[in-house]
Amino acid sequence: MKKITTLGICLALIVASVTSCENELPTHFKFSAYQFSDLDVNGGSWQPILLSSATDVAIDAPDAVNSTEYLAELAELKSAAENISGSQADAVEYWTNNPVIRWNEIALELAAKYNLIPPPNPDGTYTLPTAANPQGPPPFPFAHPPYTSRMLAYLSVAQFDGLITAWHYKYEYNRPATYVTDPTIPYAYSKNTLPSYPSDGAVIAVVSRDILKAMFPLEHDYLNAKAEEHLNSLKWSGSSTTSDIEAGTTIATAVKTAAIARAQSDKMGAAQTPRPLSDQIKQEAIDRFGWSWDNQEVPVRPVGLTPRFGQVTMWNVPNVEDVRLTTPPAPGSAEFEKDAKELRDIAKNLTNEQRKIANWWSDGLGTYTPPGHWNRRTKEYIIKYEMNPLRAARTFAYLNMAVMDAGVACWDSKYYYHYPRPIQTINGFKTILGTPNFPSYPSGHSTFSGAAAEVLAYIFPLEANNVRAWAREAAESRIYGGIHYRFDSELGIEQGQDVASYAITRAQADGADD
Amino acid sequence: MKKILLLQVLCLGFAGTVLSQTYTDAIMMKKKEICFAFMYDQGTWSEYWEGSTLITNQNIGTFTRSTYMPMIAYGITDKLNVLLSIPYVSTKSDGGQLAGVKGLQDVNVAVKYEAIKKDFGKHRVSALAVAQFGTPMSNYLSDYMPYSLGLGTQELTGRVIGQYEFNKMIYVRATAAYVWRGQTEVERPYYYNNGSYYTTFMEVPSAINYQAVLGGWALKHNLRLEASYNVLNCVDGDDIRRWNMPQPTNKFEVTQAGFFAQYYFKAIEPLKGFSLMASYNQVLEGRNMGKATGIGGGITYQFTF
Repeated sequence: MKKITTLGICLALIVASVTSCENELPTHFKFSAYQFSDLDVNGGSWQPILLSSATDVAIDAPDAVNSTEYLAELAELKSAAENISGSQADAVEYWTNNPVIRWNEIALELAAKYNLIPPPNPDGTYTLPTAANPQGPPPFPFAHPPYTSRMLAYLSVAQFDGLITAWHYKYEYNRPATYVTDPTIPYAYSKNTLPSYPSDGAVIAVVSRDILKAMFPLEHDYLNAKAEEHLNSLKWSGSSTTSDIEAGTTIATAVKTAAIARAQSDKMGAAQTPRPLSDQIKQEAIDRFGWSWDNQEVPVRPVGLTPRFGQVTMWNVPNVEDVRLTTPPAPGSAEFEKDAKELRDIAKNLTNEQRKIANWWSDGLGTYTPPGHWNRRTKEYIIKYEMNPLRAARTFAYLNMAVMDAGVACWDSKYYYHYPRPIQTINGFKTILGTPNFPSYPSGHSTFSGAAAEVLAYIFPLEANNVRAWAREAAESRIYGGIHYRFDSELGIEQGQDVASYAITRAQADGADD
Repeated sequence: MKKILLLQVLCLGFAGTVLSQTYTDAIMMKKKEICFAFMYDQGTWSEYWEGSTLITNQNIGTFTRSTYMPMIAYGITDKLNVLLSIPYVSTKSDGGQLAGVKGLQDVNVAVKYEAIKKDFGKHRVSALAVAQFGTPMSNYLSDYMPYSLGLGTQELTGRVIGQYEFNKMIYVRATAAYVWRGQTEVERPYYYNNGSYYTTFMEVPSAINYQAVLGGWALKHNLRLEASYNVLNCVDGDDIRRWNMPQPTNKFEVTQAGFFAQYYFKAIEPLKGFSLMASYNQVLEGRNMGKATGIGGGITYQFTF
């Protein structure tokens, strides 16, 4: 019996030691509403991206603060904010006073959910996802890195334009914050002098919902529910009255319409080419250079990923050929052999640190992709530097325009040069990461990261060293993973930096730096 | 320590990893008796369950997991034994370009307590309890399935065993166990598990295990034969998504049948104390794991300390 007791005590100790090292597993970034470092009172004069100026969208003047209508709205708001349930309080806490962050996270989550490569059919063919039949199978979209970079660009740009417009009318009409007009309204977040009309929260909720609905047609119910909770939280938190929200919705709908119009004509629909065009692109590379990339999967995927993504309309680069890379070293050349040998050596003697770097930046299938990874780091800086929603949206907009442009530039070079992957050129080569279904040169991770780091270095100069080091590490990670040559990574970073310079030049002139 | 490993651990591709039968049988070392064993097990599969759909993937082809496992069992008293095993695992596949891995997996220590042992004439009833603790011995990456060496987490197993022996010739045995699992640290800062996770830690689902065994003795009690039926189901977890890699958060389930034989060299003087073991097993049903066929062999040497 004594032994059983001893055994029991030992067991309890082991259980305690196992459970004590359990970590919290966060499903979103934990932060509380914060005081904005600056309100950007001139934000309404900044240059938008899709609109020509904030006044493209007409918003009527609100009712006077002492009007019967507005007093009734305030009374309704006060009642909603005073009587919130536990789950409503949770919603207020979750959405915060910078809900740009949450919609970015929702976008990343959907990217991860839809970033699944179509499987082969039993007869060895592949069926590709199509917007015409989003249910599939396979479901639409395949949220691969180009798709995700574009999705994030439209989301962020639409948020940015919507908030510029909201800021313009906020300061034009100067309707004070709800809690200024009626100090008895319990306001959930940090008070400031930002005028309440139109509601910036409503702009973000509606424009984000509508852009993401266009990008993820199977997620309408989920996105409607998210937006409904967000819009309700604007009342539960005492932030926005009905007319504030209605005016915000008007702005969001106008901006969404402009964004969708651009998206429908940006040539993304032609990026995934039919087989004959894909074969022609490959033949052109053979004729030009004498080499070509071939998919190594079984069964072979007959068309690479989005061969014509390189022709999708860019945001800030006039012509993709302006940022096309120079010709890579020919397979078999001394320069090539040097980098191929490096890959063999690394594969043979992979260190734990190299393995960790390869996996840390892998962001492969089933994840939020490299553009998503950079959005996540950007989010953390936005909160660290206490940006208001407008400034946050601008940061994401320039980041994601540059990242998408980097993708377009990279894909142009990828299919122009059609360079074979290490598993194709090095006999018997094995890797620790899966090799993607598109040509090697340059590395997409490197191009995305080179561009992202430069935009972030511009916006967060104190973090320039950090973000550039991350970009170099992300580029290096593909070499450790065995899926890119060093010249893919190094030229990819350079191309990304080159592309970013166009976005930064534009950003410097948009009025936000004044 | 007289037996080999029928029960196979539960992950995709892990069918082939051996959990020594010693942890699940009703055999005890006497006081100061020690047993050394060395076992080898090889599990192969060319089909796996993606969720509950059995599929093939030519980019994996035929997958092979080999486990080399030295083990020690020691009798502290007749009623209390301690067991220790240290598996070395290697994995590979003949399709695709992903590199296999090899290395030390998880050290396991267990205490086994014989609570009841009663003879009724020629029949005998025994009941035992086993507490087992496992933890990774190297920093292998659990998030590299199906190639990863193990689940990369601490495991604590509580097991009860009951056996009824007829005429000292035929016996039936049943075991039930709960396997508590902790988290595993992976090398990516984000993963999807029916939603976003912004962390390098993954929750590895705990599992319930049942086993039923029919055994008997032959060749003047020198040969032991067993047939077993095993079920090991995770209590929660997600499914492998379509054409995606498995990950340690998956809900692994396996139902397996096995055969086992062990021959004791009791009468042959220079070999006294030795035994040889062989096993075969087949996964019948599963979820998020390979439909593996396993073969194994081993040698034991037992003496009084």
